[in-house]
Amino acid sequence: MKNIDITLKVWRQDGPRDRGRFETYEARNISTDMSFLEMLDVVNEELTLKGEAPIAFDHDCREGICGMCGAVVNGRPHGPERGTTLCQLHMRHFRSGDTIAIEPFRAMAFKVIKDLAVDRSPLDNLIAAGGYISVNTGGAQDANALPVPQENANLAMDAAQCIGCGACVAACPNASAMLFVGAKVSHLALLPQGRPEAAQRAINMVKCMDELGFGNCTNETECEVECPKEISITNIARLNREYLKASLLSPFK
Amino acid sequence: MIHQFDTVIVGSGGAGLYAALEASERSKTAVLSKLYPIRSHTGAAQGGISAALGNVEEDKAEWHAFDTVKGGDYLVDQAAAKILTEEAIQAVYDLENRGLPFNRTPEGKIDQRRFGGHTRNFGEGPVRRACYAADRTGHMILQTLYQQCIKNEVAFFDEFQVVDLIMTDTTCNGVVAVELATGELHLFAAKAVLFATGGFGRMFKITSNAYANTGDGPAVCARKGIPLMDMEFFQFHPTGIMGLGILISEAVRGEGGILRNRDGHRFMEDYSPTLLDLAPRDIVARSMLTEVRAGKGIRGDRKIDDYLHLDATHLGKETLTTKLPDISSFCQTYLGIDPADSPIPVLPTAHYAMGGIPTDVHGRVICDGQGTIVNGLYAAGECACVSVHGANRLGTNSLLDLVVFGRRAGIHIGDYVKQIDMPQVSAADAADAQSWMARLTDGSPGPHGGRISEEMQTLMMEKVGIYRTASEMAAAVDALQALRERYQTVRVQDSGKQFNTDLLEVIELGNLLDLSLITAASALNRQESRGAHSREDFPERDDDRWLKHTLAQLAGDIVRLSDKPVDTSIWEPKPRTY
Repeated sequence: MKNIDITLKVWRQDGPRDRGRFETYEARNISTDMSFLEMLDVVNEELTLKGEAPIAFDHDCREGICGMCGAVVNGRPHGPERGTTLCQLHMRHFRSGDTIAIEPFRAMAFKVIKDLAVDRSPLDNLIAAGGYISVNTGGAQDANALPVPQENANLAMDAAQCIGCGACVAACPNASAMLFVGAKVSHLALLPQGRPEAAQRAINMVKCMDELGFGNCTNETECEVECPKEISITNIARLNREYLKASLLSPFK
Repeated sequence: MIHQFDTVIVGSGGAGLYAALEASERSKTAVLSKLYPIRSHTGAAQGGISAALGNVEEDKAEWHAFDTVKGGDYLVDQAAAKILTEEAIQAVYDLENRGLPFNRTPEGKIDQRRFGGHTRNFGEGPVRRACYAADRTGHMILQTLYQQCIKNEVAFFDEFQVVDLIMTDTTCNGVVAVELATGELHLFAAKAVLFATGGFGRMFKITSNAYANTGDGPAVCARKGIPLMDMEFFQFHPTGIMGLGILISEAVRGEGGILRNRDGHRFMEDYSPTLLDLAPRDIVARSMLTEVRAGKGIRGDRKIDDYLHLDATHLGKETLTTKLPDISSFCQTYLGIDPADSPIPVLPTAHYAMGGIPTDVHGRVICDGQGTIVNGLYAAGECACVSVHGANRLGTNSLLDLVVFGRRAGIHIGDYVKQIDMPQVSAADAADAQSWMARLTDGSPGPHGGRISEEMQTLMMEKVGIYRTASEMAAAVDALQALRERYQTVRVQDSGKQFNTDLLEVIELGNLLDLSLITAASALNRQESRGAHSREDFPERDDDRWLKHTLAQLAGDIVRLSDKPVDTSIWEPKPRTY
């Protein structure tokens, strides 16, 4: 264990309509055993004691499952490590004297609430457009009557790992939500109970994505690189197949 | 601002969302959450949800009920345990029909695995009962239920912190909440209110709980004079990552992981010869601490933060990556080790509150030992106490509790709201909340809450932790009273209105202090050892004096204690050996 000194350039913005600006803070004597968010806690404690407003940032479980945390660190959503959320980033990956720029996830569809906290409820609107199974389960049949091969269950599970953090949107030069939508569509289309609505779902979710101001996919693959759950862009390919099939063959438009 | 809904659900984890899903079929329903719904802590549950499907070996709901009762050291209400385990089967099928991707057997059936305390034929040996979606079962349940709620057009009020209940006599008329984005108070008039605010592990220093697990629902109820039940029973999960408290799922032991001391000895052979590492959590956690105190921890210094090894190296990379992928990545992220190559350093971590707001089997809140109902007030999930967990919860029964009793409460609410009129609420109903918020933010100089929080967590960990004695707990009660007094002078330092995280933390600290006091007082009162409550000065279970639930009512600075009978209508209490 050792201690390091770092300089932070943090995006401060009082509210959605405020212009926002970078502020510089010095974080001294930070233990390399700390997580990135613990480091921010320390900075905030000092700010509060000085009578200044602490840096607002989203966080909750601090074990990488809730999807609440997320900021762009030195240009990369969730920071430089692969397959981890911001709360799983540790200070041992930085060196004394480093300058770290911290910004909120930026996308037209995500408005900044305050500082690093952004409104990711447009992702919820995408779910509302069809990311569910609408069968009536009143008297659910024995689930074993509908066997699912483990291979499909695995693929569905890989897609269903999405924690809805929005890093894919923040990483995309077009601020597209295709990886998010692709994961939802794939998860449900791979299971028999999700098949009947697969076509309608693909069309509705893609339409909703356009309406909410998310951009289009141009195969930049940044989303796959930054996804903390390492969800593969093959899910986008599956979405495109479902979408194409739906627009050509199905009565839904 | 005043809102009107038939049903207001506070909390958006598994229990809240399942209740919302059912209630919204028949009533105008709102969900208030201090987080975003899919961020709730249900998502962190790893291992599984148990149900006697019998997919891989013979199993019966009755065996599951018995294990639940015995696991809870006979403080479980037995009829409720029967409902839990019988409805478990339908609950799992419901979830799978709604798109939850369970792991499958080679024939395509839902796969099942072993978990601590779950046995075949009344304790003969371990049984494979836990249905699972890798080690992300809770995440999948949360996502599935959220999708269904969105489909049902449930109104979500995200980042709203509930601070008070609106009550007339024994009827609940709604809630008062702070909108975190603006700092404004909102009144919600409702025919039915359900609390599903989850646990309160944040009262302890080392915990697996998220930052948001501050027991807001039970604390609000306690301040309204509703007694809380069995608060002395708090489960310590045996395998938290050393120093962090983050959980290594019991599924690691379910798949064959072994706990070892500094000599490499599988010490659970000495404490639980039949179930070994898969004994119930209270027993394993105590055994670990006993090893540490005997100098057999890995460091061997007998200090409370010494640790043991969870050895999964013999399971092989294949099992680890297919069945426990998140555990492998956790170990790499937090510890920089691969569990396939080296053992995981672990120690017990505060994990689950068995106690909480007392309810009946429909989730209706009870306000005394006779079972008197508070009209229109419901609770479900970890914040509630039915009680199906008694003195110690079995692994995988928490997810089950959420879906079974969340669903039952939601169905009951759907019927109840049809029968009554919308209560009238006015701005005056927010007066108490308003003066509390005004005091916290009046700009007068006062200390920051951080130090009080730190002291409370350390105190609870050291004096009201795994092993307890009268003198330590009495000291804890006094110290907590003093902390509550100091809390009165705490002021929010951030004067901004919008998204004031400091205000939220101060509110949460107030809640945790109240619950800590109730927990310590209840624990001091119970002069026996039962389940997770382990007294060094009263090491035996004492059914003659203590086979009863504790009710603890907060009255200003005092905790009034009374009791409520336990339902033992099916199985006679017996000594609990494994």
